[in-house]
Amino acid sequence: MKMTMNRVSEENTGLSAEHASLISLRSVSKSFGHNLVLDGIDFSLKPGEIQALVGENGAGKSTCLGLLYGLHQPSSGQITLNDKPVRINNTADAQSLGISCVFQELSLAGSLSVAENIFVSRAPSRLGIVRWAELRRRAENLLAQFDLSLDVSRSVDSLPVSTQQIVEIAKAISLDARILLLDEPTSALTPDEVKTLFIVLRKLADKGISIVYVSHHLSEVFAISDRITELRDGRSISTCKTSETNQAKLVSEMLGGSHPTQAATSARSATSEILRVENLSSTGKFDNISFSLKRGEILGFAGLLGSRRSDIVRSLAGLGKGLTGHIELNGSNNQFRTIRQAMAAGVGYVPEERKTDGLFLSFPLSANLVASSLGKHSTLGIVNQRSIRDASQSAIDAFKVKAQSTEDTASSLSGGNQQKILLSKWLERDPELLIIEEPTKGVDVGAKFQIHEELHRRASNGMAIIIVSSDFPELLSLCDRILVIHEGILIGEVVAENATEDELLHMAAGLLPAPTILPAQGERL
Amino acid sequence: MSLAIKSQLSPVETITQKIIRKFVDTRELTLLVLILLIVVVMSYMSPYFLSLANFRAVSVGMTPIAIIVIGMAILLASGGFDLSVGSVMALSSTIVAMLLLEGLSIPAAIAVGLLVGAVAGLVNGLLVTGLGINPLVATLGTMSIARGIALVLTEGFSISSLPTEFAWIGKASFMGIPALVVLTLSLILIFDLAVRHTRFFRQVYFIGANEKAAMLSGINVNRVRIIAYVLTGMLAALAGVLLASRLMSGTPTAGNGLELQVLAAAVIGGSSLRGGEGTILGAFLGVVFVALINNSMTMLAVSIYWQMIVIGMVLVSAVALDMLIRQTRT
Repeated sequence: MKMTMNRVSEENTGLSAEHASLISLRSVSKSFGHNLVLDGIDFSLKPGEIQALVGENGAGKSTCLGLLYGLHQPSSGQITLNDKPVRINNTADAQSLGISCVFQELSLAGSLSVAENIFVSRAPSRLGIVRWAELRRRAENLLAQFDLSLDVSRSVDSLPVSTQQIVEIAKAISLDARILLLDEPTSALTPDEVKTLFIVLRKLADKGISIVYVSHHLSEVFAISDRITELRDGRSISTCKTSETNQAKLVSEMLGGSHPTQAATSARSATSEILRVENLSSTGKFDNISFSLKRGEILGFAGLLGSRRSDIVRSLAGLGKGLTGHIELNGSNNQFRTIRQAMAAGVGYVPEERKTDGLFLSFPLSANLVASSLGKHSTLGIVNQRSIRDASQSAIDAFKVKAQSTEDTASSLSGGNQQKILLSKWLERDPELLIIEEPTKGVDVGAKFQIHEELHRRASNGMAIIIVSSDFPELLSLCDRILVIHEGILIGEVVAENATEDELLHMAAGLLPAPTILPAQGERL
Repeated sequence: MSLAIKSQLSPVETITQKIIRKFVDTRELTLLVLILLIVVVMSYMSPYFLSLANFRAVSVGMTPIAIIVIGMAILLASGGFDLSVGSVMALSSTIVAMLLLEGLSIPAAIAVGLLVGAVAGLVNGLLVTGLGINPLVATLGTMSIARGIALVLTEGFSISSLPTEFAWIGKASFMGIPALVVLTLSLILIFDLAVRHTRFFRQVYFIGANEKAAMLSGINVNRVRIIAYVLTGMLAALAGVLLASRLMSGTPTAGNGLELQVLAAAVIGGSSLRGGEGTILGAFLGVVFVALINNSMTMLAVSIYWQMIVIGMVLVSAVALDMLIRQTRT
């Protein structure tokens, strides 16, 4: 094709021929040290299309994005832009080619304003002095595309996470991007916010911007994408039109033919009460929360972002402040002031943010696994390395963690495997009451299934488990009962077996619970 | 399936590769080889380098830094550091000297000296954990305060004519090896083992790597950090006591700028301001390395000003090398 770049892209927007690809990876392989992460990937993105990239953790999705965004260079194979080979040496190269990326973790500077965050170093200036009014005007214009009107001089910290996510996308688009790479953009969003985001993405695609969408949420993938490319173990398995496949088919292909069955919920019989909470309140956060929990029971907490469901469960783990009310664990009155007291009484707590709050990323898996149980592995204060190694190895084997040895650093693992390590760290202590926030956030289908199975197994051995999750289908399949929280108030309780996602959503949004659910609450309390 | 891929992709390392990797990975080994290299080269270049007198001078001269670096390495591993060590050393040396002149018994005077260090450390620890003041600011403040107290107490003069028995600690030797050196080496050995193997000190690394995750893992973060500061204060005070005994005087201006030398040695030895890493042995070898470079340059009649330039370059190269290794690995 002898055409200038401009003409190519102009024609392509109106074109849907098979060969008209904007950017593609051609038999690209990538290895890090001895690890071959991508093995001959073929991938091509058409102008104005939204293409989803799916696969288990470690399948190579993030590495693909990294190659397109100049974070990594291919070990072999070629990247082509408008059918011409290109080298993308760094992110500046990528941006000058019109490629932008939004990562899973937000990259905004919290204390700075929205406007500054969007334009970073490209703020309009005269003689080196930032023209603030112009900066604000441009930021407002940009956000107007997203039907989002907000005070752009507010600090990013003061915004809800979902709005931050949109600011992040606005920042990417502000570079005149033709290609937008999104890595799990919805992991912090509520279902409604996801819908808003999808409308925005569709608009961008209609304007001719091509989008690569990486997500574990298959329902989202089916809702937004035009085509789906599936990766497994560093190879591209297939690319097909979204309309020509379905979720079940995709899942079985991703797992390499084996089809996970739903973990059984009903095999357990809940017995004696372990936890009773009465009129638990914390000023300005939540009010008059009462519930009880039996051994062997899995209790879910549902609620939208800002519902304070996390504050409630954290206060049970000794992480709350200014509490009033009554918490009774194992028959004795207990209001833990620190997590150490809670742990001593048999409580475990798995935090929501595994990277910032859960793991020691630069440390080996073995150290991460024993961080909460050093006492168990030491005599007279001396740590027994062999006992740590053995325990770590068996934890890794038991949970099928994909790692070469117990001395791999936590940062080298994929999200799903990191989550398994974090969970194992607490299971290692064998707590009587385990509190878990977002047990499978950003985790692939296979790992999610294993984690659910393990939690069921622990519960049937008598562990009481509290789950907070934004993933309502997860709560429904994992829990026995679900408490729904809206703005710090317990507005209802449902039996997971009989409930639907829709009911949960309605209750969580503060709309009155359906009459079929109300009497059930009275029965159980 | 992925296991199959992995094994085909990671060929077994040959023994030489393994040794090289181990060598680059382990700062202690790198330093040990460099130290041997200096010794070999210098023994050719200067006839006095390998003499007993020079060995004594170098090893005794580095004892204060070597003792204090123990605490600094622990603090660095926990994600903190302490700039007040030089001042605390001077303060405890002057207080011990004053108490001895007042007629207090030697053990009692030493005990009070160490207590001064513990209090200084406690103040640092409480400022950093309780009030959440940045360690740089907090210990910069106590550095100035401790030095000020030493100067006020002595009106700026050194305190000499201490009881002769007090000199014993600083002058005694076992089988030709100065007692100071034996004591320092024992402390290094004890703390190196403790930091590697005791439950308490392992917690320090978790805190340095991710303080929030450490708290949520049930580690008593504040307590551990305070203890690390108290320990560092006491080690600085011990260095002060030993210095007073060796010089037979309490000097309020002693250890000016010592804190930066200690930090530099620890970082050369593998500690990092990021926290979560470093060993006592490494930090100690960092001290030895810097001391030998200084000594070599003195022997070769290099001006003291040039020595500063060289040490600065060594510090930056050590950190730069570290960063390069990290980058090539990821």
